[in-house]
Amino acid sequence: MLPSLSGRRDALKTLGCGFGYLAAAALASRTNPAQAAAGGVQSVNPLAAQPPHFTPRAKRVIFLFMQGGPSQVDTFDYKPALAQYDGDMRRFDDARVLAKTKEIKSHRVFRSPWKFKRYGDCGQPVSELFPHIAQHVDDLCFLKGMHTDGVAHGPSTLFLHTGSINLIRPSVGSWVLYGLGSENENLPGFVTLQPSMGNGGPRNYGNAFLPTRYQGTAVGRAGVPAEQARIRNLSNPRFSADQQRRQFELLRSVNAAQLAQHGQDQAMEAVIQSYELAWRMQEHAPGRFDISDEPEHVRRMYGIDEKGTDDFGRQCLIARRLAEAGVRYIQVNYGDNTNNPRWDQHSNLPQHATHAFNTDKPVAGLLQDLKQRGLLDDTLVWWGGEFGRTPYAQANGTGRDHNPYGFTSFLAGGGVKAGFSYGETDEFGHHAISGKVHMHDWHATLLHLLGLDHERLTYMHNGRPFRLTDVHGEVVREILA
Amino acid sequence: MLLSLVAASSSAAEVPGLELFEKRIRPALLEHCQRCHGADKQQGGLRLDSREGWMRGGDSGPVIVPGKPQESLLMHALHYEDLALEMPPKGKLPAAILEAFESWILAGAPDPREHHGEAESDAPPTVEQGREFWAFQPVDEPTQPPVQNTTWPATEIDRYVLAKWESAQIPPPAEATDEQLVRRLYFDLTGLPPTPEQIRQYRRDPSPAAYARLVDRLLNSPRFGQRWGRHWLSVVRYAESSGGGRTLLFPDAWRYRDYVIDSFNNDVPYDQFLREQIAGDLLPHEDWQQRRRQLTATAFLLLGPTNYELQDKDVLEMDIVDEQLDTLGKSVLGMTIGCARCHDHKFDPIPTADYYALAGIFKSTRAVIHSNVSTWNTAPLPVDPAQQAADDAAREKLDRLRKELASAEQQLVEVGGQVKKPGGASIDPKTLAGIVVDDDQAEKVGEWKESTHTRGYVGRHYVHDQGEQRGRRRVIYRPELPAGGTYEVRISYTAGSNRSTRAAVQVHHRSGQATVAVNQRKVPDTEHGLLSLGTFVFAADPAADNRVVISNDGPQDGVVIADAVVFVPVEDVAKTPASDAAQARQQRRKTLAAQIKRLNDQIKKLEKRLAARPKVMATTDEAEPADIPIAIRGVVHQPGPMVPRGGLQVVSQDPFPAIPARQSGRLQLAQWLTDADNPLTSRVMANRIWQWTMGRGLVRTVDNFGSMGQRPTHPELLDYLADRFVDGGWAIKPLVREIVLSRVYRLSTEATPAARQADPNNDLFSRLPRKRLHAEQIRDALLAIGGNLDDTLEGSTIRKGTRSEYGYQFTSTRRSVYVPVFRNRLPEIFEVFDFPDPNLQSGSRSTSTIASQALLLMNHPLVMDQAAAAARRLLERPPEELSTRIDYVYRQVIGRTPNPSERQVLQRFVSEHPDGPAAPSTWADVYQTLFQSIDFRHLF
Repeated sequence: MLPSLSGRRDALKTLGCGFGYLAAAALASRTNPAQAAAGGVQSVNPLAAQPPHFTPRAKRVIFLFMQGGPSQVDTFDYKPALAQYDGDMRRFDDARVLAKTKEIKSHRVFRSPWKFKRYGDCGQPVSELFPHIAQHVDDLCFLKGMHTDGVAHGPSTLFLHTGSINLIRPSVGSWVLYGLGSENENLPGFVTLQPSMGNGGPRNYGNAFLPTRYQGTAVGRAGVPAEQARIRNLSNPRFSADQQRRQFELLRSVNAAQLAQHGQDQAMEAVIQSYELAWRMQEHAPGRFDISDEPEHVRRMYGIDEKGTDDFGRQCLIARRLAEAGVRYIQVNYGDNTNNPRWDQHSNLPQHATHAFNTDKPVAGLLQDLKQRGLLDDTLVWWGGEFGRTPYAQANGTGRDHNPYGFTSFLAGGGVKAGFSYGETDEFGHHAISGKVHMHDWHATLLHLLGLDHERLTYMHNGRPFRLTDVHGEVVREILA
Repeated sequence: MLLSLVAASSSAAEVPGLELFEKRIRPALLEHCQRCHGADKQQGGLRLDSREGWMRGGDSGPVIVPGKPQESLLMHALHYEDLALEMPPKGKLPAAILEAFESWILAGAPDPREHHGEAESDAPPTVEQGREFWAFQPVDEPTQPPVQNTTWPATEIDRYVLAKWESAQIPPPAEATDEQLVRRLYFDLTGLPPTPEQIRQYRRDPSPAAYARLVDRLLNSPRFGQRWGRHWLSVVRYAESSGGGRTLLFPDAWRYRDYVIDSFNNDVPYDQFLREQIAGDLLPHEDWQQRRRQLTATAFLLLGPTNYELQDKDVLEMDIVDEQLDTLGKSVLGMTIGCARCHDHKFDPIPTADYYALAGIFKSTRAVIHSNVSTWNTAPLPVDPAQQAADDAAREKLDRLRKELASAEQQLVEVGGQVKKPGGASIDPKTLAGIVVDDDQAEKVGEWKESTHTRGYVGRHYVHDQGEQRGRRRVIYRPELPAGGTYEVRISYTAGSNRSTRAAVQVHHRSGQATVAVNQRKVPDTEHGLLSLGTFVFAADPAADNRVVISNDGPQDGVVIADAVVFVPVEDVAKTPASDAAQARQQRRKTLAAQIKRLNDQIKKLEKRLAARPKVMATTDEAEPADIPIAIRGVVHQPGPMVPRGGLQVVSQDPFPAIPARQSGRLQLAQWLTDADNPLTSRVMANRIWQWTMGRGLVRTVDNFGSMGQRPTHPELLDYLADRFVDGGWAIKPLVREIVLSRVYRLSTEATPAARQADPNNDLFSRLPRKRLHAEQIRDALLAIGGNLDDTLEGSTIRKGTRSEYGYQFTSTRRSVYVPVFRNRLPEIFEVFDFPDPNLQSGSRSTSTIASQALLLMNHPLVMDQAAAAARRLLERPPEELSTRIDYVYRQVIGRTPNPSERQVLQRFVSEHPDGPAAPSTWADVYQTLFQSIDFRHLF
């Protein structure tokens, strides 16, 4: 019997450990043979969709990870002061210099080499780096007062994904899957496309202490073309379809015979079910990653088959296909495996143009496609990097260093205000000064949009409840539509 | 007193500032502050929802000084004056509100809000209260529990378990079959499946002592240490890379792994095992082998997941200490000490002061060597005396050669030569003959940029004109000559392809000036490495205007370099071109140069040899061990009161052993931990040993014996085991032996209806918990059945030449314990079958059943290869009946004889297989299917 609502609340109160405990208990009871025996064996998928804490604004997330840290002042955060004071030496409390030397030093103000123009009814300035995304500003919600922890890629990338720099914590996608389950029985609920192996690698989509079923499924990896990206072990490299089916039929018989020996037992049933799911995945999942049935005009929209945009375009299109299929959390990675990934222009800032070009059309295509299909209403799109960049030149050279103090992310769809910009940085674009959104705040807001209370989404581990936002995070209500 | 009088008699109109409070301050606090500093949350320990709240203040003390806005921390925070303290965090408040706050504080900060009524019961337990908790109580003397059924128990352990059954009215349940028992014992003690022959051998032995003999044989097998060592390695988060962002390989971590395996195989007493891991570098030793063992053991403290890239090195050091404490606390004491880094432990009696008492010990221990990306501490591996002597001799020889080299170089300078340091960026001015004026000592006109980019400069650096402002920059060198006379003028510049071809150099001498255009792209073709501008006569009187000027007057086709100018008295140069003396000097220079080259070669060789000396990850005490202050809220840069180094107060009433001067205290900590009276150390380990044999701990939360952990299901049995453990000299094998010889260990995993009814969660061990094989056992079993398990013991196993774990291919067929454990990359089979995350200390594993396990067993080449190999081996056996063959395969993979329906299913499959019953592919299908079957992965 299900406990009544008030009973459940009482339970929460007396146990003092929140939603996570009940969820864990519920999951445990699903696999606990002793408890299952009383009510007879039911076929229960532990990843089945679960109700959120309250009415959600979004059902799923597509996160477009811009690895390396795109510069805010060269993309969406227009700062005329940079042109005005270009070349001046000024004192800035540089995050890296400060951490290393505890000193504040002078740096050369460095104007953006790109021109800005206002777009849309909202008049959002966008630099000439993103001509395609610029066409969608009336659908976007900009967070210009983002700030985060860490100064180096490793720490800040882990912080973005797990809410912790050094401690081992589950990633955002794992928490979301733990809270909501999956809507598709034949596909993983948390997919990361071509993830980087650097800067924390698998920890960025790891389940840490959450049960293994909440780990992200990596499809391909950075450096391998999207065309070759696959879920591991999804097809047999040696057997024909006939051979596979024959073996699978034998397995069914052997397992049935073994199960008969042990009687009703849910843990053993679960093994059988894992094979059934694997078999269905073999059948259905490859189709989700095969875009050959997409019409030409759709491919064009994403920049597929075009130099520069092909690879990221394919990823974005696959992301849409996964979103359609009900995958809960999809991460699309624009990254590589180096210690200075992609957007990391410590020198030669003009390289930003290459990365902008490679991603601009695919992202714009994804936004348009989601909107046309009505998917944007309940899909939350999040674009951003692990930090921003300094408005001054690094070591008076030709690039910009990391800047965790103030940077820009943008959102679309799933319950956020459209054509809206929230927060700002100082005159130079260095520090967020108003409408500040710390990464913890953003995590809290993301969960909120999915109908999850970040303070109640907890998991008992080592004798205490843990959550994505640790003891921090405020939902940014100002951006909720 | 005064304040309360004011408040009592006040009304908004009478008290200046109170109106302001009501109109402006109260709403501002409510809107901007109280969400984080109110009833729900107290960030930084601060509440702003009452006068008492801000008077008491937070971690940094009171935040408002009535009448003094400048001294009020609150105003600093509101004004965003301190980067670390900007409130409210979402953005600075409007100037008007800031002014209101200022006026209000100036007016004495009247605040009518009363005490916010904090619930006292929320306070963490005090140390005295904490001692009442079961885990901190002394281990009880064992008393034999009374049982009615005196025939059933075979061991003391059985009596404790039976007593509980009797009170729950559960009759003694059935025992496992022989086949089940053999498979269970092999996997539990060695991690490998028994072969069909080993099963038959055991079943053929009718002696009642057969089982005990098997136990002893397995306990004495080197495979016991491989299996049990692996348990410990998970407990201490063993890994061979640092993890974190820029993960670094630990190339010497394997020595610790082998140390652990050895310790289990040799049954090193657990107290000694702990002392070595915590303070091995400080323990006395009788020979180099013991020294090596003990030093290797301290890698325990260094193997944590660490972000060596962290830029704030104070924070990095404290993070490492925190990780060490966290691991030590959970693995040895079953305590989550880490919670107390920022605040008194909420649930357990561990005040913040205890955390910093322990932290002081580890802060006094060198674990890290700093650099942009720092590294862990290492020590030379202790070696045998002969090699040590050879190394010492080599080091002595190296010292001697270096002295010889220095002397030869000095002589070379004296005869007018110049020492070219191989690979050295800078030339020491003292090694140059003559009077040296470096760019540091010269006068500069216009902007000259310092650089060390190109090697071979004199002194600290050279300067260059950045290729800008032609004709407007110059460097003026004025020598202090000891006497007038003729000097050869030489200049140094770091030649390079972007340099000026006609840098203008003027020499002002006694009778005028000369200008030389220097091609700075060309490396000077002289023995001394400098360019000679010619010889000039200089006067030495104070009025003389001796100078050399380097300018960028020439054509602007590259940067102009200004480094050093050297004035060499001509008697030091060759006086007359062909004099005998000059020739002799030149000959001498040649000889010396050859000697220097020979010495350099020898030195390089020796250095290389000494650098190849193996290293070991190890700790050492810092030069100046010291107590450390509490870091308020865990923030390193906010020091609080100092805390003397020590242990956890709740564990022991005796004072912590005195720490001698200039020692970290690790030795004392190790003694304190392994004191026979420490109630946690023995209980925690006895519980682990029970868990590793019986499948779950008597305390289910094996790493948490605190109030948030679970209580022991059999407290008396736990104390019996802990007592036996300490009494038996902390030896592990005898305790394992006693457990597996008990009747409880030999129970069936099937619950009887009575047991299911009375003991639904199996709290009473009314059946043996069924175990899912660990990832390592699954992999090892596949390789063993395929006949491909490489049985090599010990050694480094990271493939030679590996620079990064990313993309590492796991192709080895060694036992799983020897497969490198990288924090960011594991073999797929480990990942899907719940190998513990090596980033986390973890004494127990989760067991999941997921589709990716199925996909791996269905499609991974490792599985298919072993199935095919097993099939080939099978067909090499002498001809036999199909049913016999099927029984053999079943015993090989599942460890038991198939029942008739299982046999029939396989028989039909093999007979009807299109490839026929003699084809390896047919049997490969059978093997792979059995690898996938339910029973393979479970221990019954």
